[in-house]
Amino acid sequence: MDQSDKNSELESKFELKTVLETSRILVESRNSEFIINNLLLILMGRLLVPRAAIFIYDSRTNSYTLKKSKGLPKLEEEKQYKILGKEECKEVAYFIAEKADASIKKLLVDVGNSLFFNLRTNNNHHGILFLGGKANKEAFQEHELEFIEGLCIISTAALVNSQLFTELTNTYRNLDRRIHELNTLFDLSKEFNLLVDREKISRIFKFALLGQLFIRTFFLIYKNQDEISLLTSSGLKKQPDPSQIEHIFKTTEDDVIEVDERFANDYPWIYENNIAALISISVQNEKVAIIGVGERANKVPYTETDFNFLKSLANLAVISIQKTYFLEERIDKERMEEELSIAKSIQEGLLPDPIPEVNGVDLAARTISSREVGGDYFDVARTPDGNTILAIADVTGKGVPAALLMANLQSMLHVLLPVDITLSEATERINNLIYKNTPSDKFITFFWGKYLSTHKILRYVNAGHNPPLLLRKNSDRFEELSVGGLLLGAIETMAPYEQADVQLNPNDLLISYTDGVNEAMNNEEEEFGTTRLKKCILKNRDKSSEEILDAIVQEVLAFSNQKLFDDLTLLIIRAKELSD
Amino acid sequence: MKNFKIDHRTKSGLEVLDLYGELDAHTASQLEDSLKRLINNQKCNIIVNFSELDYIASAGLGVFMAYIEDVRGIGGDIKLTNMNDKVYNVFDLLGFPTLYDILENESEAVEKFLNEN
Repeated sequence: MDQSDKNSELESKFELKTVLETSRILVESRNSEFIINNLLLILMGRLLVPRAAIFIYDSRTNSYTLKKSKGLPKLEEEKQYKILGKEECKEVAYFIAEKADASIKKLLVDVGNSLFFNLRTNNNHHGILFLGGKANKEAFQEHELEFIEGLCIISTAALVNSQLFTELTNTYRNLDRRIHELNTLFDLSKEFNLLVDREKISRIFKFALLGQLFIRTFFLIYKNQDEISLLTSSGLKKQPDPSQIEHIFKTTEDDVIEVDERFANDYPWIYENNIAALISISVQNEKVAIIGVGERANKVPYTETDFNFLKSLANLAVISIQKTYFLEERIDKERMEEELSIAKSIQEGLLPDPIPEVNGVDLAARTISSREVGGDYFDVARTPDGNTILAIADVTGKGVPAALLMANLQSMLHVLLPVDITLSEATERINNLIYKNTPSDKFITFFWGKYLSTHKILRYVNAGHNPPLLLRKNSDRFEELSVGGLLLGAIETMAPYEQADVQLNPNDLLISYTDGVNEAMNNEEEEFGTTRLKKCILKNRDKSSEEILDAIVQEVLAFSNQKLFDDLTLLIIRAKELSD
Repeated sequence: MKNFKIDHRTKSGLEVLDLYGELDAHTASQLEDSLKRLINNQKCNIIVNFSELDYIASAGLGVFMAYIEDVRGIGGDIKLTNMNDKVYNVFDLLGFPTLYDILENESEAVEKFLNEN
C-alpha cells in the first residue's frame, strides 16, 4: 500500500467517523437550529470552506428562507430568496452554483467552485445547502462530495424529525388546551347547576373566561324581559351608560363580530376599552346576551376554536342566569298564591259561619268565587234590638281589589249595626265613606234589609243592586224589591236613600242574587238571564231555601259548562208557616 | 366541600399568600377576596405560594388576570412560586408565563422583588 492510498484510507475512516458521530448527535436532537448549525460547522471545518448557508424550502409558497449563513454578510436570515434557476435542480444531489438564479448569485460573493446541495429525504425536497469554494481554491474531490451528501441526508432526516416533533408537540399542546377547555365547561356546568345566585354565576363565568382565554377585559350584557343591563364586567376603563348598553345590545346581530375602527364613532366605549370581539348569545332564537372580550394579554389573535369555546361557556352561563330569573318568578308566583290562599280564608271568615237561625224564616246563603278571592258579599247578623240584618253586595271588578273593598264594606256594616239609626241613614253613611275611600271607578251594588220578626216585615234599601225577586204564595208573578237609591261609592249622597217595607207571609219566597247568576255565560256567549232564573225558582218553589239554592247553582253551573267568570252569591229566605 | 384554604403572612416586607387544596370555580372568590383586601390596603408586592395547591381551574387563573393590572398599576406585582407540575402545566398551557413571573421558590421571588425596587 503506498502513501496516497494510506492517506485516502485514513481520510475515509475519518469521514466515516464524522458521519457516525454526527448521526449519533442528530438522532438525539429535536432542535432544528442546532441541526442546521451543526451541519454548517462540520462541513466548513472538515472541508475548510469559509462560506456556507442553509435555506429551507416552503412547498406552499414555493420559496426558500435563509435559516443560517456563515461568511455571507449580504444574506439576511429569515429572508426569502429565489435560488433555483431551473426546477429540475430539486431532483439532483448537487449542482454547481453557476446554475443558480442570478439574484442569489450576486449575494454569494464568489461562486467559483461553489456548490448547492439538495437537502432531501426519499422524494421530498426540504431545502438547499450552499457550500462556497474551499479556502485553498481546490475543487471538491469525489469522496468529499460523497461525504457531504451523506451528512446532508442524515441532517435532513434529523431536521424533518425535529419538525415533526415540533408539530406533534404543538398538536399535543392544542389537544391539551381543548381538554382543558372541556374540563372547564364540564366543571362549570356542574357548578352552575348548583347555583341560584345570579351574581355568583356571573362572577364564576367572568373568571373562567379571563383565565381560559388569557384576557383582562370583559363584559356581559343580559336582557331579562325588557330590561337590558350590564351584569358583570372586568377591566373596563370606561363604563358604558344605560343608553350605550342598550344600543350595543340592540345592534349586535351576528354571532361573532370582531371590533375594528368603525366602532370608534358609533360605540366609542367599546373601542376605547380595547374590546376585540363581540359575541351574541341566543336561547331559542331569542337574543339574550352580548359578551365583549378584550384582546389577549399575549396578543395572540382569537381562533374559531376560541370563539366556539366562548360561545359554549357563555351559553351555559346564560342559561343558568335565565334559570335564576325563572326561579325568582316562580317563587314570587308561589308567594302570591300562598298570600291569596291566606286572603281567601280571611275573606271566608268575614262571611257568617254558621249562618244564624232567624226566627220565622227558612234562610240559605252561599257565595262562590271565580278566583281565590272575590268581591261578592252577603251577611246575616243580629241587631241589638233582636232583629236580623240581611245583606248582599257585589263590588265592581274581581280578585284582590274587589276583595279589599268587600272587607271594607263588611266592617262598616258591623260597626253601624249597633248604632241607632235608620237603614236609610246607615246606607247614606256607608255610601259617603266608600265614595271617600275608593277610586272613582270602584262601586258596590248593595241590597240590605232588616227583618222584623215580630211583624214579619222586611224593611229594605236597595242601592243599585239587582232587585231581589219576591214570589208570593199562590202567585206566579215576581215582585222586584227596587226601592232605594244609587249604588255605593259613585257620588256623595245627595238625596237620602229611600227605604220600603214588605210584609212576608208564610211561604212567600225572596231570592236575592248577584250578577254572577244572571250574567253567567254558556259557550255561545249567551247569558243565563233572569228568565231562566225565574223558571228555575218556579220549578223548585216548594222546596226548602237550601234546596232552591242548590238547584239554582247547579243549573247555572251546567249552563256555563262549570266555568264561572264572575263571583256568584245567593241569599234566599222563605217565610215559615205560623206553626213552624 | 373542597378543602381550599388561603393563609396570609409577610416575608421580608412582602405579602405572601399560601394556597391549599383545590382552587376551582367555587373557591375562586376566596382568592379574589384575599387579593382585593391586599390591594385595598395598598399592599401590592404579592407572592403567591402554590406548594400546597393540588388543582387549579380556569376560574382560578381568571382571578389573577382580573387583578394583575390593578396591582401593577400601583407599582406592585404578583409573583407565583412553588407550583407542582400539574398546576404549572395549566398556567403554561394558557400562556401565563409571558405575563407573570413564575418562580421555583419564594427566595427567588423575594430576590426579584428586591432587584426591581
